[in-house]
Amino acid sequence: MGFYIFTYFCIAVFTLASVYLIYRQFTLPLHVRWEIYPVQHETAERAFYGGSYMEKVDWWKNKYETSCLNELKYMVPEILFLRGLWKENRSLWYISFPFHLGLYLMLVIFVLLLVQAFFTLWESSVFAAGGMVETLLSGLIIVVGWIGMIAGTVGSLGMLMKRLIDRALRSYSTVTDYINIIFILLFFLSALLTSLSADPFLNGARDYILGLLTAGTSRTAYVPGQSICGASTIMLGSLLIAYIPMTHMSHMFMKFFLYHNVKWDDVPNSRGGRIEAAVIKNLELKPTWQAKHVEADGQKKSWKDIVSSVPRETK
Amino acid sequence: MKTSLKPSDIANASDRLCHIEPGELTPLPPPYEDFNQTVLLPLKPEKIKNVESSLDDTVAIGIPRPASTEEEEALVRQFLSGLKKLFEKENNWTFLQPLLLSMEHCTRCQTCSDACPVYEMSGRKEIYRPIFRSEVLRRIYRKYLKPGGKITAKLTGDIDLNWATVARLAELSYRCTLCRRCAMVCPIGVDNGLINHEIRKLFSQEMGIAPKEIHDKGSVQQLRVGSTTGMPPPAAKDSVEFIQEEMEEITGYKIEIPWDVEGADILLLHNAGEMLAWPENVGAFAIIFQAAGISWTMSSEAAGYDAVNYGLWYDDVQFSRVAVRHADIARQLKVKKIVIGECGHAHKALSVIADRLLTGDLNIPRESAMVTLEDIVMSGKLKFDPGKNNFPVTLHDPCNMVRLMGIVEPQRRILRKIAPQFREMTPHGVENYCCGGGSGFAIMSGYNFAEWRNLVSSRKKFLQILEAFHDEPREAPKYVCAPCSNCKGAVRDILNYYHAEERSNLFYGGLVELIVNALDGMKKPIVHFGDKPSWE
Repeated sequence: MGFYIFTYFCIAVFTLASVYLIYRQFTLPLHVRWEIYPVQHETAERAFYGGSYMEKVDWWKNKYETSCLNELKYMVPEILFLRGLWKENRSLWYISFPFHLGLYLMLVIFVLLLVQAFFTLWESSVFAAGGMVETLLSGLIIVVGWIGMIAGTVGSLGMLMKRLIDRALRSYSTVTDYINIIFILLFFLSALLTSLSADPFLNGARDYILGLLTAGTSRTAYVPGQSICGASTIMLGSLLIAYIPMTHMSHMFMKFFLYHNVKWDDVPNSRGGRIEAAVIKNLELKPTWQAKHVEADGQKKSWKDIVSSVPRETK
Repeated sequence: MKTSLKPSDIANASDRLCHIEPGELTPLPPPYEDFNQTVLLPLKPEKIKNVESSLDDTVAIGIPRPASTEEEEALVRQFLSGLKKLFEKENNWTFLQPLLLSMEHCTRCQTCSDACPVYEMSGRKEIYRPIFRSEVLRRIYRKYLKPGGKITAKLTGDIDLNWATVARLAELSYRCTLCRRCAMVCPIGVDNGLINHEIRKLFSQEMGIAPKEIHDKGSVQQLRVGSTTGMPPPAAKDSVEFIQEEMEEITGYKIEIPWDVEGADILLLHNAGEMLAWPENVGAFAIIFQAAGISWTMSSEAAGYDAVNYGLWYDDVQFSRVAVRHADIARQLKVKKIVIGECGHAHKALSVIADRLLTGDLNIPRESAMVTLEDIVMSGKLKFDPGKNNFPVTLHDPCNMVRLMGIVEPQRRILRKIAPQFREMTPHGVENYCCGGGSGFAIMSGYNFAEWRNLVSSRKKFLQILEAFHDEPREAPKYVCAPCSNCKGAVRDILNYYHAEERSNLFYGGLVELIVNALDGMKKPIVHFGDKPSWE
């Protein structure tokens, strides 16, 4: 039961930390525009070469329109295949892609295992043992699991070697960077060893997820600790889930904000609109910058007061 | 000298952290090989004895050396105070979210490095990597401002904070042109250009440290006198009067540049530097607008005849003051829209960044001159003879106008119509390389900074220009079209520095000059190759 409690705890930490990170983004003040072109939600004709709606005469008379399809056309290959890295840093892509693929497939297998566990608990006839759905799902779990474990092991080992060998990466790598990679490598190695040594069909993983859903009360629930490798896989996997949002690895979901709230945020400000209201609120803030030319006092003078004035001092 | 620097080395005591040896810069092709061993001339000791100069071979700011240890410590405390403010919404609502995101999600994969022309051209000097200064700031922030930072620094990256660190970081923030090519290629979306911008702000807004060319003689002078050129309104009007006379000489008919016309459709904002350095640009705009029957005006209010906004590069407060001034002038004139002339950073400043600063009746529509000009050229109102521009032309893409604002095609559609030998640089459009004069570099020339710019930051652009014309005979006159004042200044300087007019018959100018040059009915060409125009 202790293993289950530990996993529940790690999932809770992941959820809380992720919610906090995302919530914080929504509480930050509206910033000035700082987009970089190409902005991929532009219309197809302009997204192609990186143009903006500001290329049109009297652009403010047109409706601000974005294309979700164009954005998806860019983002799906970017997320799934790391297209940007392929284009800009090919040598790193060869190891970063399997590394990310391994992590993605771990996510996929987690979802597949959950689906299988639900079916099992539901005791649906659609999922009868030996039936087509059960056979397909079981086969998929095995295939995805093995590809994920191998890709993840190769990728994380490659990432570790790259950081150690490449001078440019080594000079900027911190102890935490190595810990992160070694952590992930150990998880993949542990999972791979477990499967190789005793569980090639990933039955332990199926039973453990079933156990997670039933708090360990299911008849078929896996009893952790049957092997050192199996136990360490559960421990490392759970810890990894909790650890990700504490590190820069949270870019797996925070990348959304880096792109949508900064790199592609081209929403124009219109009179009486939502953005104008946020700007007016920002201009009421009272800065405390100390340089004389700013002439802030932190008490009475707001941004609005300051930017409407000419500085008396120059420094 | 140690060649493999790490971010923590910025705190080390040494006379110079980085030095470029002869032959280390990216080689130039024939006939410029004689520059391949050229390096910066050492600064004379008496010139730098009282200023901080321990970063590299040049000095951009010239920060006075503290007189005592106590003074150094006070400045370090001031730096930390400013750093803290970068992460407070009261002080930095303008960039807080982008800054936090970029500070927290870099994986240090170095994808940005190869995108940086300064890093590449310098012979890959470590301090010029886009991530170097970001990592220095990140480590200081984590160690000195985060709870428990001094304990966790051994894990997250250690660094010592002393006066050397602070002074070098200030100088280092002026070795990046803010072209943001690094941010464009980052797979995660981390923006090292932004972090550099924030470092500059910290120094300016908290410590009053900024290059005099962009602060004292720049934004301060613009707000006080009316222009960063130092021209007060009467002098600007005199200059324009002179331009009118010269244009009449060329076009054969009288042009009137309208001042302060209330209710005009367009308020045209020029970079005032054009009036002094490239008056033909101001004149060409007037010819085109007048010939097309446009309702337009210029403003003689202080700052109303100078579109520049240097605050964009280093100080949000100065930036906002100038932007509000521009908008207020347009509001008082009751114009329908502001059109920004051939000035890249003014485009981005007033159109994009100020968009979330101007509210109510200050939020007056702003448009790029590239767009307005395309509308006129394609409208059929004017007749062109492209044969007059029958010489090789290439186009420089100003970063602020193209990558950072998405004005990419209008200028190209114009050139395809009026310049039969137009060809692109490689790469071009949003993937362009900076002219090397971005973020204030074009106007900064104290100490030996202009030489550093010509040798290092503008080198990639020079190579691109040479490559664009590589299949042309040396004697054929060639035109680099740079529709931005600062870019034009940087291109002018590299052509002069490398004697490119003599060696490759290379010339430069803006877009409107080419448009007017192709106009039917001009008495003389406005584009000159070699022979000086009448105003010089």
